[in-house]
Amino acid sequence: MRKSLMLAGAMSLAVTAAACSSFLTDSTASTDPNNPATVTTAQLFTGIQAGQFIEQEGNLAFLTCLFMQQCQGVGGRFVNQESEYTITNATANGEFAGIYGAGGLLDLKTVEANSDAAGDKQYKGIAEVWEAFVIGTAADVWGDIPYREAAGDVAHPAFDPQLQVYDDVEAKLDQAITDLAGAGPGPGANDFIYGGDVAKWTAAAYTLKARYALHQVEVRGNGKYQDAITAATNGIATHAGDFKTFHTTATFERNVWYQFQVNSGFGDDIVAGATLVNIMNAQNDPRRPQYFGKTPSGVYGGVDVNGGVGPNGVSGLKGLRDDPGFGQPIVTSDENSLILAEANFALHGAAAAQPFLDQERASNGLSVVTATMQSIMTEKYVALFQNIEVWNDYKRTCIPALQPFVNPSFGNQIPGRLYYGSAEENTNSNTPTAAEQLQHGGDVVSGAGINGFRNPNDPNPCPAPS
Amino acid sequence: MVSKLRQTGALLAFLTLAATAASAQGVTITGLVTSDAGTPLASASVILDGLSIGTITRDDGRYTIAVPAARANGQPASLVARLIGYKSVSFPVTLTAGTPITHDFVLGTNPLRLGEIVITGTGTSSSAEKLGNVRNHVDSTAITLSNESNIVESLAGKAPNVEVTEQSGEPGAGSYIRIRGTRSLASGNSQPLFVVDGVPIDNSSISTTNFNPNDGLGSGEIEGTAQANRASDINPNDIENIEILKGAAAGALYGARAGQGVILITTKSGKAGATRYSAQSKLSFDDVNRNYPLQTKYGQGYYGQSPAMLNANDEGDPDPTACDNISNAFCRYSWGPDLTGTGTPVYDHANEAFVTGHTTDNNLSVSGGNDRTSFFLSGAYLYDRGVFEGPNNNYQRSTIRLKATQKLTDRLDVGGNISFADARGNYVERGNTTDGLQLGLLRTPPDWNNLPYKGPNGQITFRFQHPIAGDVTSDRGWNNPFWTLNEGVHNSQLGRVFGNLTSSYNATDWLKVNYVLGGDYYADERLEGAPQGSAGTGGENVGRITEGKIINYELNQNLSATASHTFSPSFAGTFTVGNTLDDRNYRQLSDVGRTLVAPEPFNLANTVTRDPTIDAVSEIRNIGFFGQATTDLFDQLYLTAALRNDGSSTYDRNHLRAWFPKASVSWTFSKVLPIPGVSFSKLRAAYGEAGQEPVPYLTTQTYSSVAFPTIAQGVALTPTYGGFGGLASSITKATASLLPERTRELETGADFGFFKDKADLGITYYHAVTSNVILTQQLAPSSGYFQQVQQGAKFRNTGLEMTANVRPVSRKDFTWEVGAQWARNRSTVLDLLGANFVQLDPTYNTPQEVAIKGQPIGVMYDLGFAKCGISPNGLGAVVADIDLATVCAGKPKGALYIGADGFPVLDPNQRIIGDPNPKWTGALHTALQFKKVSVSALLDIKHGGVVNNGTRGALTAYGTHKTTEQRAACTFDADGNTVCTGNLKTFGQGGWYDGPVAGPGAGTAVPIGANWYSEGPLFFAGNNEAFNEDGGYTKLREISVGYSFDTPFVKNHLGFSSVDVRIAGRNLYTWTKYTGYDPETNLGGATGHSLGLDYFNQPQTRSFVFTLGLNR
Repeated sequence: MRKSLMLAGAMSLAVTAAACSSFLTDSTASTDPNNPATVTTAQLFTGIQAGQFIEQEGNLAFLTCLFMQQCQGVGGRFVNQESEYTITNATANGEFAGIYGAGGLLDLKTVEANSDAAGDKQYKGIAEVWEAFVIGTAADVWGDIPYREAAGDVAHPAFDPQLQVYDDVEAKLDQAITDLAGAGPGPGANDFIYGGDVAKWTAAAYTLKARYALHQVEVRGNGKYQDAITAATNGIATHAGDFKTFHTTATFERNVWYQFQVNSGFGDDIVAGATLVNIMNAQNDPRRPQYFGKTPSGVYGGVDVNGGVGPNGVSGLKGLRDDPGFGQPIVTSDENSLILAEANFALHGAAAAQPFLDQERASNGLSVVTATMQSIMTEKYVALFQNIEVWNDYKRTCIPALQPFVNPSFGNQIPGRLYYGSAEENTNSNTPTAAEQLQHGGDVVSGAGINGFRNPNDPNPCPAPS
Repeated sequence: MVSKLRQTGALLAFLTLAATAASAQGVTITGLVTSDAGTPLASASVILDGLSIGTITRDDGRYTIAVPAARANGQPASLVARLIGYKSVSFPVTLTAGTPITHDFVLGTNPLRLGEIVITGTGTSSSAEKLGNVRNHVDSTAITLSNESNIVESLAGKAPNVEVTEQSGEPGAGSYIRIRGTRSLASGNSQPLFVVDGVPIDNSSISTTNFNPNDGLGSGEIEGTAQANRASDINPNDIENIEILKGAAAGALYGARAGQGVILITTKSGKAGATRYSAQSKLSFDDVNRNYPLQTKYGQGYYGQSPAMLNANDEGDPDPTACDNISNAFCRYSWGPDLTGTGTPVYDHANEAFVTGHTTDNNLSVSGGNDRTSFFLSGAYLYDRGVFEGPNNNYQRSTIRLKATQKLTDRLDVGGNISFADARGNYVERGNTTDGLQLGLLRTPPDWNNLPYKGPNGQITFRFQHPIAGDVTSDRGWNNPFWTLNEGVHNSQLGRVFGNLTSSYNATDWLKVNYVLGGDYYADERLEGAPQGSAGTGGENVGRITEGKIINYELNQNLSATASHTFSPSFAGTFTVGNTLDDRNYRQLSDVGRTLVAPEPFNLANTVTRDPTIDAVSEIRNIGFFGQATTDLFDQLYLTAALRNDGSSTYDRNHLRAWFPKASVSWTFSKVLPIPGVSFSKLRAAYGEAGQEPVPYLTTQTYSSVAFPTIAQGVALTPTYGGFGGLASSITKATASLLPERTRELETGADFGFFKDKADLGITYYHAVTSNVILTQQLAPSSGYFQQVQQGAKFRNTGLEMTANVRPVSRKDFTWEVGAQWARNRSTVLDLLGANFVQLDPTYNTPQEVAIKGQPIGVMYDLGFAKCGISPNGLGAVVADIDLATVCAGKPKGALYIGADGFPVLDPNQRIIGDPNPKWTGALHTALQFKKVSVSALLDIKHGGVVNNGTRGALTAYGTHKTTEQRAACTFDADGNTVCTGNLKTFGQGGWYDGPVAGPGAGTAVPIGANWYSEGPLFFAGNNEAFNEDGGYTKLREISVGYSFDTPFVKNHLGFSSVDVRIAGRNLYTWTKYTGYDPETNLGGATGHSLGLDYFNQPQTRSFVFTLGLNR
């Protein structure tokens, strides 16, 4: 009330004092009282990590899990439909935007510029690894993407060819490795992945380099296998160096898979996929209690996208991972070992691959199996459960052999990419049309004309198993 | 600018110092005022024009005026008697000290209200014949007779092109009002400015559901409950009259707040004479005016079988637990067995949730005064118990108002006006939510018993399809409707104070100064509680609390000075200058709590986790200066010109001010061109500009703490994380420059009175172009931002308005009046800044409503059937093999494409599928008074305008809609395909999608059952066009019969001057082709722009009203 009276008095005075301009520009009337207009590097970096955790762990990982038959949707609603490849330009609209906007590339550029200006090369290097990872993930999922003109002053950024983006990502990682060796102090505890440990960041950068090298072998040949070996040799060596998301029990800091199951109202719609459960059952895999809950009959079972429920019944995603604080493994020593196994197998044969496969399996409590492309990639399929990289591996190796759901939308094949999303399609005239995306896999720059819904780095469709 | 300010400042100072000594040796003027029928007229004002000395007649029609000697210098003066509804009469007198004057007035009736003072806003007034724009006036009788508790709804059918749509018939549901079409896309700002006794008040309507953005509930108007519009906090019985300023020409003096028109409300004042008491008690009974058509023949299941049989084992034994599994979608459908003759009980879901509601409305008022003092005091209590079963469907409002004026000196009047309102509403969820009443009620299979919804010990038993006792958190698909009615909590508790201080000072005989200082403050506390076990996709199953409050306060002052002078009988003029200051503060403070600890109570402390608090504050300041000059030439030609300079904190700092001009001319040509039978004729034209201010804070780039969403509602991560404060760039890119939206409107028309004003006719044409329209443009996400508010779109609204009234009988004991009005508005989007389309607020997607260049504002833009001449030749991936051009050769545009299987197909390309704007609107009213009996009626007509009946779309898919009672028998073959027989229909014939058809399957009779209704290219495939319906209606809004007892018995033995008894009906009947509850419905809430959306919205009600009034 007193404030009101004072205001009333002030208003009367405003007339006589002719203070008309300041009356309009004073206080909260012209400055947003709800949102700050300035920001610190640390605030942005915190936001970026949350934004990218949800990018790596959210919808794209869910779609991978469904497409790769590690998970299965039931109940007829959207999860079920997505596991049968009912996807539209609304499916990953938010995820495409999340690459660039708030918590994405736009803010990463600010963090890099700020830390560079402050002389903090380590901070800059960490942000550069993040940038390479964010953009690399986008190239994996969408193929040709805006990068060089993105999140800058260009209203309609051009779409860069996918392989050029991988080259840029590789260069960015090299720059990051250089900067990580520079002056600190870096983000410290504000870095939720490694607490500012530049050695761990450097290893992660090498594993990422190896990952993206593999993504190019289909079109660039065996040289990329060698690149992968070279990089992964310096990559993440132990589980202690794993790049994992970070979560707490606060409502919107909880694991995204956990949130989905308890909060979305669709939690019951996602269950174990038969393909993964069957592989794990066959080797009595000790990771099952991590991934899945037991069925009422005390065993593990999954739903087959084509066949329904087997005799074991259905497990939910109710393993030890179903925990609000679970940090999702994103780039790991398991992946690094299996990259070395795959690349060595391809270039040098089974004997060269065997130690890397043995090492990875032993660290997960599994017995020795002979290294073959099949056994290496099958182990990677199990080990990288809920990770987008499983989809990339399948696109390259077609292992494990998956029976696609019969959906003529994508030529009865498992989709190899996603639509860019209606937001980009409606606003950026450079965006390939839906028809172009279907026909060329998004590669309008070179007009490669890939048959099917796939990206330029993935020219060869997987044969459907008989 | 500065010098003008100093001038007004000096006036203010003068005002406070001035005092004038009165003298005892003056002139006494006495007399009697009667009507031409000889009845003494009470409360007529008699004043000495120019001297501002006057009085009001007593109950016996007599008056006395004392003129102080100091002001009686033997000068001539004009003594004028005025009373609303009568023609004013003036009489020349000469004021000589010590010489008394006696004069009696006889006033003729004045149905055209010529000469009456009309409030035109910001301290200005005029008289009816001088106005250059059309006048729409609603008096207290019309408001009372509407029997509406919300003043906005009471305006339905009262003025042409004033469209009113009530969200539903629920207690406390808000009403949307639109004047002359949509002129802005500003979110939440589409409503006219409401001004009460010279002070703007808030008329917002805010959904509590918007307090919970993390569950994707950004369009709570569509998903939550109905909400009040805040002008409903005014007691309609306190209103003396309402002037509706339509268009920019009438509202220009309100500048950037008048873009959608201005509603000027004047409250009742006390009148000199004996103190009057009035008690009015109203009781009404309300029920649902139409029931939803549901089938009761077929039960739960699919393929003609119950879910238990569909889940039978290999031996054919039914599985009684089939519906325990959420994934068994068959449990949600009513495509099961024919229940006829099976003895299976069938439940009447169309009726089971409704009861007869009632409303009580008690008003008490006391008013009175003398020639120096007046007061009006009223108190009222309204209680509306709605038509739904259960305790959560009611609204109550207590109001107190005191208005008093005091003549401090002969030159200085001061007044105060204070009003308090306490409004409490309990609401039931509706719309696009599985927690909504109608969704659960109407989708439930007819053989499913919704009762009891709880077990004998109060434990949760089942909601929709889970009969497992004690299973609290499993998803139910949707709520049992009785669970929604009895367990969910949605309430609003508001306390509001608004009022003003006024002073009016007659500095000299020609200069008058007015000052008004007003305030409006309210706090509105909201609570939404989803009990454990609710359905819904935002974590309602484990219990969820949304709690918060809205605090709004606004201060406004208006200072104006008016000089008037009559140079000669043929030349007079006025000049007004003024200043307004306005400061509006809004705050929303809210929290969402998740997972209830104990089932009760519904408060935040009883939850396990809480979302980040929302604390949103906004402040808008305006400073305006205005001037208006009027000239009266030869007592027949009236010219007005005005200019407002408007400054607002919402404009950017480089453009803090904007100009809004207006000019008008009115010519009463009956004074020079007498036409036989035409008693009054006037031509008028007006031009003006008014606007809409931008939303604040759009010109600064900011950083946001809003959570990052993914996958599904309720799943998000916040930028502040792991104990570190975090921020992210705002998704909205700052706008460099923002100016107010500006409507330039030209209005022209004519008014006529015929046969001594026994009939009248008014006609108005207007042409309004709104430029600088502000809209949110989507940006390419790869640019780093999602959207930017941009300016420069352009709309046009043109229209025609007509009113006609006939008073065939106007005798002392018998009057009869019939009136009609008709209006149309045509809106067109002229420019949209290159955007393909812009979605209207609140955003809704089945169908979406948009602005598209070249189209009316708000057309529905969505999917429909493939049609010749409408769908593109290549339909896209889904039906790429159709060559429409060949098939459609020689077929009329719009012919329905029929595929080889005999069925239409969905065109996957979005297109314009309907226009919710009416073709025209109109009303007919009549009033008859015979001795003490009064009868009145009002028909409200809306012609055309699409309403999208999404409810029917969903219900036909689920198999509960009445139309699905005729159905083919369907089963499934070895390949899992649906195979149906019977109920053969041919598309295009026999009442089944009648109209031209084309394509290979044209003319083929096909079975229609679940294969079409549930699996066909209909509602859930995105085909919203198929459920567009004609939303036109004719409503019997009001009908009433009253009798007034004022016999000597009443006066002498009961002690009342009169006892009024009235029986009335409200919305008694609706003539419409619409097949849903009621075409007057809108999910879009009371302040959004989206119209004609019906997706499980609540029904309308009709009322029988009994009123008893005691007057003394």
